Amino acid sequence: MEAKPLTRVEGEGTLKLILKDDLVQDVVLNIFEPPRFFESILKGKRFEVIPDITARICGICPVAYQMSGIQAVESVFNVKVSKEVEDLRRLFYYGEWIHSHAIHVFFMHLPDFLGLSSFFEFLKLNPDLSKKALFIKQTGRKILEVIGGRDVHPVTVCVGGFTHFPKDEEIKSLIPSLEKSYDYSLEILDFLSTLNFPQHLLPEDILFVSLKEEDHYPILKGKIYLSTGVGLDKDEFLKYFYEFEKPHSTAKYSKTKDGKTYIVGPIARFNNSFDNLTENSKKIALKYGVKPVERNMSKTIIVRVIEILDSIERSIELINLYQKNSLKNEKYEVSEGEGTGVSEAPRGILWHYYKINSNGLIEKANIIPPTSQNQSVMEELLRKNLTNKELKDESTLISYGEYIVRDFDPCISCATHFLKIDKLNLDNR
Amino acid sequence: MRVGIFKFSSCDGCQLSFINLSGELAELENFSIDYFLEGQSVNNYEYFDFSFVEGSVSTTEEIERIKDIRERSKVLVGIGACAVSGGVQSIRNFRNIDDIKTVYNTVDITKNVLENALPISQVVKVDFEIRGCPVSTDVVKDFINSILIGKSPHNYNYPVCLECKRRGNICLLVLNKPCLGPITTAGCNALCPSVNRGCYGCFGPYKDANIEAFYNLFKEKGWGIRDFIENSLNPYNHLFVEKLWKQNL
Ligand code: SF4
Ligand code: SF4
Ligand code: SF4
Repeated sequence: MEAKPLTRVEGEGTLKLILKDDLVQDVVLNIFEPPRFFESILKGKRFEVIPDITARICGICPVAYQMSGIQAVESVFNVKVSKEVEDLRRLFYYGEWIHSHAIHVFFMHLPDFLGLSSFFEFLKLNPDLSKKALFIKQTGRKILEVIGGRDVHPVTVCVGGFTHFPKDEEIKSLIPSLEKSYDYSLEILDFLSTLNFPQHLLPEDILFVSLKEEDHYPILKGKIYLSTGVGLDKDEFLKYFYEFEKPHSTAKYSKTKDGKTYIVGPIARFNNSFDNLTENSKKIALKYGVKPVERNMSKTIIVRVIEILDSIERSIELINLYQKNSLKNEKYEVSEGEGTGVSEAPRGILWHYYKINSNGLIEKANIIPPTSQNQSVMEELLRKNLTNKELKDESTLISYGEYIVRDFDPCISCATHFLKIDKLNLDNR
Repeated sequence: MRVGIFKFSSCDGCQLSFINLSGELAELENFSIDYFLEGQSVNNYEYFDFSFVEGSVSTTEEIERIKDIRERSKVLVGIGACAVSGGVQSIRNFRNIDDIKTVYNTVDITKNVLENALPISQVVKVDFEIRGCPVSTDVVKDFINSILIGKSPHNYNYPVCLECKRRGNICLLVLNKPCLGPITTAGCNALCPSVNRGCYGCFGPYKDANIEAFYNLFKEKGWGIRDFIENSLNPYNHLFVEKLWKQNL
């Protein structure tokens, strides 16, 4: 049958509709990708390549890979970086959240609410607001460039800290764009609040899984927190969750060991850590109609903008505290062992494991990206919303399916796949 | 001008340059993006004056797809290390594919996987290549501007060192730190040396690079070149590294 590719997602993949008498019987999210075998190609390389090579899993969230990866190595070598280094990493990571969320909100998700094909069309329709959207994205990019040298695959992260610390004035010069981006984000929220939000409801018994940090919304590290109230240490990840394969998907799936479907990402963070948003962010969230427990996935567009606002506010705080001369890299010695690292990629928790030998060579690697963790729930939600729908108009059905997929901001590149829309007609069998 | 932007095995990082440039591109009169799966849901797969291809060819299906795109394209441009040389996934070209495949237990998943991740130029004719992992958005912008006015694009066949000197950096080699700048294609504006890190070769070696001199320098300094290249340049230009290993320098 004719195959149509899924669009406006990072990476490529397939949605398979199984039909009988033109009624959808079942839906399979088919991610069959050219696998890139990262865990294998890392073997035998030196630990220093981890931030470079794992960043290349995804061009949209390379910092997430660098942060989880470097923390895993630091835990092998027993290195504890200073608070100042940690703060700079946090600021760096906020840059990625702002940048990546802006791409998703404006380029991937927003066109669905407006019935448009792309952000390019939105640029023509509403040049004023779309320029503001681009400004926000650019602000995230600037943070990445100042701290990491470039936005995609930054080059400064190393064990113990950074190869280079920006000058005070370079960091401080970010403030005006951040302030402007804050105001623009509020304008965007005003605009978003005029839109219709379809009910893409998560199942009642879904588990929300995200990190928890003490004094702020989670991003860099912390305990892995389940909405049932359980808190896990990063080393315990594989005790509670397991990855499994399905024949036609090169992205792996995951569930909890007792078979429950869970979700990671903005909605999980928001529901689990609402109290840790800044006072301003909390007020704004309530004003724009999102509060825990939010289960409507189409509202994640609002949640992402709230996370942008929260990131901006925290970034400004960190910038005000920044002093280059207070920064120093932690010294370390290469030693053999195993270690894990976890952080909140824009799309949800990203977990790394490495085993390193006494020569500093990687013996074993395991990387669990957010998209594979969300694949089960994504498929369930598609099934719930599309089953028994009539296939009167194929393109409407497909757009609807794509809309739901985009609610998740799946980073299909994280699994590097190729996803097509495929129909299987049971009548013809 | 009808333009297509395509993705093969890659990280999406090079395509991002088109997202970065969206504001400017939307204002161009004679520039219509007909095909760009990551950026738009209505796509027109017919004929392209310019096709920009990100990613390497790493499955049997991708071989067919790149051939078809070639047939429909007047000019085909490879963007980034994946397209130009195989990219990070081509590390597997030096390894045993069966070991590599152990990431998956289900054999079916990897049945279409090629033993080697290939640069697109090993499958079809490529007209231009833009280097980098990722390509620099500024370089892509200049490239588009050049083709729009019918000028030939800037040729970066010179080393990162030139850009580095222009930026007034202190040379890392002098500070006894290994750096691939002398053999690496320019275009990043000497990013790494400017942040206190040796160039690790992500733009790949430039065509006329003086490899012998570079080898001698490493020898003189007593640095293990094999180890250094294995952990730097290797993912960004495996073709070149293969050649080096063959020459057994
Ligand atoms: S060349 Fe590098 S940045 Fe570009 S797609 Fe490949 S891995 Fe990503
Ligand atoms: S630091 Fe590297 S790039 Fe710069 S001049 Fe020296 S060798 Fe060349
Ligand atoms: S590795 Fe070399 S080519 Fe790549 S950004 Fe750094 S300096 Fe430039």
